[in-house]
Amino acid sequence: MIWEVFRQEQAGEYHTHCGNVHAPDREMALMFAEIQHGRRKPTNSLWVVPQKEIGEVDTEEANFGGTTDKSYRWAQSYSFEAAAEEVADSESEQVQAERQRGDD
Amino acid sequence: MDIEQVKERAGPREFSPKDDLPEEYRKAATRMIQFHANSEIMGAYLEKPFIRQAPSLDRKLAFSAKVQDEIGHGQLLYRAAESLGVKTRDEMLDELAEGKGKFLNCFHYPMDSWVETPMIAFFVDGAAMRRQATLKQSSWEPYAHAMDKVCFEEGFHVKHGEAILYELMTGSKKEQELTQEAFEEWWPRIIQFFGPTDDKSTHHDFSADVGLKTMTNDELRNAFLNAYVPKAEKYGLEIPDEPRIRDNGDSTYEVVEDDLDWDEFFTIAKNDYDPGKGQIDGRKQAQDAVEWVRETLDSHEQRFAGGTQPQAAD
Amino acid sequence: MASAEQLPGPNDLSDEEREAVETLLFRLADDEFVLAERYTEWQVRAPTLESDLALANIAQDELGHARLWYDLLQDFGPDEPELIWERDPGEWYHSTLTELPFEEGDWADPILRSYLYDAAEEIRLEALEDSSYARIRNRVGKVQGEEDYHLEHAQNWLERLAEEEQSRERVQTALDRLWPHAQTIFAPTDEEVEERIDDLGLRTKSLAEMREEWRETVVPYLEDLGLSVDAGGETDLPEVTGRNLSHTDDWDDLWEDFTATYRELGREEATRIMKDPDEVE
Repeated sequence: MIWEVFRQEQAGEYHTHCGNVHAPDREMALMFAEIQHGRRKPTNSLWVVPQKEIGEVDTEEANFGGTTDKSYRWAQSYSFEAAAEEVADSESEQVQAERQRGDD
Repeated sequence: MDIEQVKERAGPREFSPKDDLPEEYRKAATRMIQFHANSEIMGAYLEKPFIRQAPSLDRKLAFSAKVQDEIGHGQLLYRAAESLGVKTRDEMLDELAEGKGKFLNCFHYPMDSWVETPMIAFFVDGAAMRRQATLKQSSWEPYAHAMDKVCFEEGFHVKHGEAILYELMTGSKKEQELTQEAFEEWWPRIIQFFGPTDDKSTHHDFSADVGLKTMTNDELRNAFLNAYVPKAEKYGLEIPDEPRIRDNGDSTYEVVEDDLDWDEFFTIAKNDYDPGKGQIDGRKQAQDAVEWVRETLDSHEQRFAGGTQPQAAD
Repeated sequence: MASAEQLPGPNDLSDEEREAVETLLFRLADDEFVLAERYTEWQVRAPTLESDLALANIAQDELGHARLWYDLLQDFGPDEPELIWERDPGEWYHSTLTELPFEEGDWADPILRSYLYDAAEEIRLEALEDSSYARIRNRVGKVQGEEDYHLEHAQNWLERLAEEEQSRERVQTALDRLWPHAQTIFAPTDEEVEERIDDLGLRTKSLAEMREEWRETVVPYLEDLGLSVDAGGETDLPEVTGRNLSHTDDWDDLWEDFTATYRELGREEATRIMKDPDEVE
């Protein structure tokens, strides 16, 4: 069976998908993934998940974030100068997210 | 999606396993990626004896790591091919064993001596890397993903091959002469790596139209010659008179195709070349000999229904 | 903490001390080198692509360990060509377990061989953690860091192979063949030198103690898997132990093969790619 492999490069980061391995069970999958996906790239941790256990929903089926105007969710919709640095940082992240979503 | 829609949408990493793709695309992509995966395996098969032959501990380590990487690339590529849903990995490996699976011309030739190793490890790998870099833009996303990792690792292979070439060409007179001889023998095969000129290639048009590949044989051969002819000369190798290669002075070359043995090339392409057949059979024998292990793993997998049962706390 | 007095560096050892250190190091280095040489035969021949990668990795680990130990032998003068490429096959110290060839497709052999060897290696390295010779002591941790995977790999495989009657029988056949050779891991090279190794505190357990500990570990483990171990006494040591510099004919063939390029090209040097281990420590 096929196991999807997720690699975390450094402690604290997310595990991101990096490939898969054929293995008969979880223990063997971990053992193989360690070599195939952890021997060259920087690796702090690996996850293995049976491929058939992964569910997916994508833009074909879902309208992530809705289709009507939800700009009330964004900091940049409020026309005050940010009160503090961390508020400004949050706002710029939201500006970027909004741009990537293509809501403009 | 029908084939016209595929052609319209075709672009880098445009299609993934969840797309409803026509059979024509799936089959063409399977054929191309399976060929690539088979080539990794047969290349590794050819180079493996040189792990033992390596004349220093560090070289032995590097050769073992290189062969390991090639098998790893095969793993990635068969997965990318499997995800098209046309054939399983086991089916593709069986086809390779039975002589039905196709692979690169260069890996049908025998390799007997250490002085030959840079012909594959530097020139053929260099040619392969040239092509692989362009395949990061392939329309089949799993293939492009595999290329990210392959290219990440392949740089070590080419540099390792170059180091061996440099060492041989700065070594004893005997080493230099043997290396030149090996180069003369391998050079036409290396040129043929890119196949015949585009107007003679049969599969190109469709693969290009659906974005599976992005560059033509001629473009790739030009890019390769631009980079590797100066390298060969720098290390003191003499480029053989034949096949005649005309440098157009604008980063393009013309290879006089009649100087190359295309009968042999197409015999090889049909897996009918004797040394290559021996290599296919040798690998088949090795694959058959460990069939019992795969059977054990399969029954283990069935017994535990795929390992998703709760496990003891560890 | 080491109980014995600390030995000086390589240049200040007496001849007797040096002989003891060299004997110990040759065994460590040659075992790893020859075993890895055999493991690499499985590259491009393992049962699945994933298992191919894993065993190749283990082979590279072992070669890396051999490299660390040969480097310590270089402290005494000889270079890599003298230590490996030009050394007469009759002057190698590795256990015969490491040199035996594989039969085609006999995956049970490398797995079981690895288990028997790595279980012994764990004990042997532990006994070097407090070696009185700092150059050895300081490198043990690095080697141990890679050995855990090897043992786990061997055990994961053995447990699965032992589940099925057909594959368990193959493991049993391998066990019957390898068992006497595995005993040679803890066979002496020269009784007098062995005593000196212990007296100098180069290791903190004698060969006999380590052998006993190893047998107490591996015999019950293998029996739990449904295998039968013919656990005789000293008598099951084969005539050729490797440790006493006598080897099987297969070793001569292997030696011929791996030194062939070096000889054919008339080489006198061995190319380095990596830095000297002392520079990266």
